[in-house]
Amino acid sequence: MNSAAIATDEPHAPADHYLSRGWDWWSWLTTLDHKRIGILYTATITLLFGIGGAAAALIRLDLLTPHSQLVSLETYNKLFTTHGVIMVWFFLIPSIPATLGNFLLPMMIGARDLAFPRLNLASWYLFVGGAVLTIYALLAGGADTGWTFYTPYSTTFSSSQVFPVATGVFIAGFSSILTGLNFIVTIHEMRAPGMTWFRLPLFIWGMYATSLILVLATPVLAMTLMLMVIERIFGIGVFDPALGGDPLLFQHLFWFYSHPAVYIMIVPAMGVVSEIISCFSRNPVFGYRAMAYAMLAIAAFGFLVWGHHMFVSGQSAYAGTVFSLLTFLVSVPSAVKVFNWTATLYKAHISFDAPMLYALGFLGLFTIGGLTGLFLASIGLDVQLHDTYFVVAHFHYIMVGAAVMGFFGGIHYWWPKISGRMYPENWARFTAVLTFIGFNLTFFPQFIVGYLGMPRRYPDYPVEFQVWNVLSSAGSSLLAFGYLLPLCYLPWSLRYGARASANPWNAKGLEWETTSPPPPENFHATPLVTEDAYAYARAESLDG
Amino acid sequence: MANRVASLAPQFDDPGQQRTASNLGIWLFLATEILFFGVLFAAYAITRVRFPEAFAAASRLTSLPLAGTNTAVLVTSSLTMALGVHAAQRGARRALVGWLSLTVALGCAFLAIKAVEYRLDYLEHLVPTLDFHYAGAQADQVELFFYMYFFITGVHALHVLVGVGCIATIAVMASRNAFSPAYFTPVDVTGLYWHLVDVIWLFVFPVLYLISRS
Amino acid sequence: MILRTETGPKVYVLVWLALLALLALTIGSAFLSLGWANTPLNLAISVTQAALVMLFSMHLRSAHPLLRIIAVIGFFGIAILITLSLFDVLAR
Repeated sequence: MNSAAIATDEPHAPADHYLSRGWDWWSWLTTLDHKRIGILYTATITLLFGIGGAAAALIRLDLLTPHSQLVSLETYNKLFTTHGVIMVWFFLIPSIPATLGNFLLPMMIGARDLAFPRLNLASWYLFVGGAVLTIYALLAGGADTGWTFYTPYSTTFSSSQVFPVATGVFIAGFSSILTGLNFIVTIHEMRAPGMTWFRLPLFIWGMYATSLILVLATPVLAMTLMLMVIERIFGIGVFDPALGGDPLLFQHLFWFYSHPAVYIMIVPAMGVVSEIISCFSRNPVFGYRAMAYAMLAIAAFGFLVWGHHMFVSGQSAYAGTVFSLLTFLVSVPSAVKVFNWTATLYKAHISFDAPMLYALGFLGLFTIGGLTGLFLASIGLDVQLHDTYFVVAHFHYIMVGAAVMGFFGGIHYWWPKISGRMYPENWARFTAVLTFIGFNLTFFPQFIVGYLGMPRRYPDYPVEFQVWNVLSSAGSSLLAFGYLLPLCYLPWSLRYGARASANPWNAKGLEWETTSPPPPENFHATPLVTEDAYAYARAESLDG
Repeated sequence: MANRVASLAPQFDDPGQQRTASNLGIWLFLATEILFFGVLFAAYAITRVRFPEAFAAASRLTSLPLAGTNTAVLVTSSLTMALGVHAAQRGARRALVGWLSLTVALGCAFLAIKAVEYRLDYLEHLVPTLDFHYAGAQADQVELFFYMYFFITGVHALHVLVGVGCIATIAVMASRNAFSPAYFTPVDVTGLYWHLVDVIWLFVFPVLYLISRS
Repeated sequence: MILRTETGPKVYVLVWLALLALLALTIGSAFLSLGWANTPLNLAISVTQAALVMLFSMHLRSAHPLLRIIAVIGFFGIAILITLSLFDVLAR
């Protein structure tokens, strides 16, 4: 396997870069530099990923045996709630946008910073505030409602820490909104000369589409949580069937946000993967405009399909039919993207560096996750599969198999730019493969056991399901290892890694035209853009 | 004190870009407010469709004179705010401070009238969880109406309060010569926010108070 | 990008008078027994009032198309939420 990294004379760190001016607490906690804020977010979500992952580990350990032996039934409910709340709102939703997006967006469009740096810092503080409140709630016993907070259990019957958890999520929601708002304004108003819309890297299109959802969907979550919490506190509300209220109203409001939210979690990874696949196949992305429009279409259509979470809730069958049809529609742009990534790889010079391994893993796992989404979109099938492990496997294939692999691929791809160091390539390749294997071993058995009828959120199951659960738990230990390794070698590389040049991958993109690490103002002179994105010469022949 | 022209923030290339970015930013924020309140309208609409008679009966118990007056007050405050922004555009400092102060006064009047209205509701036992009592049919659903009524008008009143605070702050800044025709973005932005608070009320009012008056 | 044609005080006062007139209309119409038509009429008046405020007081009349899209997109989102949810409730 050849590497795309260019061997040059040993690069030196630039004399002055965004990390060299000030390293004390104050310089970090009062920074207005989007790059430092991206790093603050990265540190925070890594910690939270650990907490969410620990909850997952306990769940998988408990599921090794058909009867829950590790934790009580009540604790089990709190474990999957904690896992869901933290992984969705405190890891996946911020992940790529707040870390890679914050760091790279201004650079990729040739700007000095985002439009509103103080709002950017405020968004991080809001995120931390929400996280602290949620962790407090966890230490005080945690919530047991599931991350979905369905009423009337959450409003009337649960005696767990619903209020602080919901409030923590509410606060973190404003962090989302500010990030999205900042990104939209920046992309509209602060592109460098020559950077027209259709010369933007697809990562930026991905950030734009994601930001639209962040800004438009999150306020709905905020008010929905507020309605739920107020009803819980005052003992009266519109979700309470005893008063004539409608629990399904909560589900409509909740899923109106939470379905678009899953696109917040995947569209950024799609943007990352377009960057990586083009660079490591030395090809422009096939069908650039279709790829950009597809991400916008996913964002728009994603607002029309929320009822597919409610097929068996008591929702009208006619409404269900409409939602089912719309859900099939929303799969089309995603499919277009998979075809176009594949076409990008066709007859390409492919090098299998770690970012590419992650991106290829994304491709396969996103396809499986996406196809199984179609199974669930069919009402007839969903009646059997709803609330089984089939659903759990489906969304983990997208959120972990695709989104998290996209995230790690991006971290590795831009690591040299962010840190000025190369990570150890062989360790990273090994980790990517290990993660891929561990992931499939964890979650593919869940498709099977879900199809066989094992319900989700149950700590006890029939003994004939045990073999699949043991496989899944075994896989999860490999997966955990795959996540722990970068936590070792990436910090290691900060001290001992080879110094990176400005463009170690010989990639196209404005971020590669400045030093590694970049100066505080990103560019010493405002760039002038004269070529399209991905201006790689397309390989003409097999042996080119 | 001499006119203080806002310094150009380092991330922007020119004042025009800064102004445009601020305007785009505030409109995006306003969109989030519309969606935020919209959820309340959705919850209200769906509950009302399920209990039309109860909601109609409950609506008749609300105070139309007070709320109608309040609507006129808020609409007028929107006028004074717009005239304030216009004064800022022209650099007419004293007019600006005057209009902004008037807007603050009208905003406070809105809140005062609302307080009177809430007190009346309390005395008539229409506040859920606070000695609520309704003698007619579908009392539970009438209580649901009032739950939504207090929720919606309460969240709106909170937004009015925040708005009043912002406008008062802007008024003080204006009196200290912080604005000029070249820079009055905070006035502009606060004005847009205040107008949206007005727009939201223009929907809240008929939806809550005018269900069944005939 | 902001095209701010000078909206003069006269326009603001006219808008104010129109809003008050529409307020009187919406209250007055509520006292007429129009059956199912009362609510849509009230809402139509509200939409008109909102349009006046947004076009004139909020300067959308002379604003870049992007701002106009952002201004209405929130209403569209809520319309989708209410329409499909109501469809469920009514079709159960």
